[in-house]
Amino acid sequence: MVSPSGISPLDEVRKDFLREASIEAEAAGQEKAQEECGPARSLLVFSLGPEWCAVDLAHVRKVLRPGRIARVSGAAPEVLGLMNHMGEVLCVLDLRWILSSGKEAVQAATEGKLIVVMQHGGKEAGFLVDEVRDVKELPASSVLPVLDSVDPSRARLFEGTVTFSGQFVGLLSPSACLNP
Amino acid sequence: MTAGFLDLLVLDDGASIRGYDCRDVVHVKEVSGERGSPGGYLVQLGRLGSRRGVVCREVLGSMALSAREIRPVPEALRERMTGEKPWAVAITGRGILLLY
Repeated sequence: MVSPSGISPLDEVRKDFLREASIEAEAAGQEKAQEECGPARSLLVFSLGPEWCAVDLAHVRKVLRPGRIARVSGAAPEVLGLMNHMGEVLCVLDLRWILSSGKEAVQAATEGKLIVVMQHGGKEAGFLVDEVRDVKELPASSVLPVLDSVDPSRARLFEGTVTFSGQFVGLLSPSACLNP
Repeated sequence: MTAGFLDLLVLDDGASIRGYDCRDVVHVKEVSGERGSPGGYLVQLGRLGSRRGVVCREVLGSMALSAREIRPVPEALRERMTGEKPWAVAITGRGILLLY
């Protein structure tokens, strides 16, 4: 049976169950953080539509407001174009397109959005995101594995899962996001 | 060629702005559109190297580019390009130019 909203009761139960599990995991993480003083990780949490993602701040060079982006013919669809940022040429990629493996349309509008510039292994690119939510510090040991529910084609783009404000948030692998 | 500058022929390919070394240009020919499609220009290149033709929507003109306006092509872009790849990118008053 499917509700008028198109969500089946089973999906709703699963969603509630995941929410509860994330709240418990977050509480357990906080307890753990109080108990141990292991290495901490600072994460930048941002949103892409209804989905939230995080990336280790160690790989974030800066967060920018999009300027004029020059399109590039012959580039892959996830390439939104090149942007001049204070004399540096930055390649801007559509993170939503990358995470949907091309199932979602390329974002044409950049107004009100932000560009998170990530760096890893000598490579750098800007990723268009909707909103930056927070910077969260947590013990490295509280990073959970990638959830089994994540589509295998997307799973390679994540290095783990963290809990934030009562929901599971995918922790992006900068290396996987930067390498096509 | 002006000393310290690179003279470029600037083209609009409909998606991006491209710059080609003027010394490499053999000729520019206007081509008419077919079946309602807009016309454009065929730029024949190869005076300095291998012969090739580029079709563009518009020839925007020429400009002198100084070395300080040139930047390397970002690796993230280079890896995500098919076909002819630019050798550099230029930041100019007209915006970002791809140099081929």
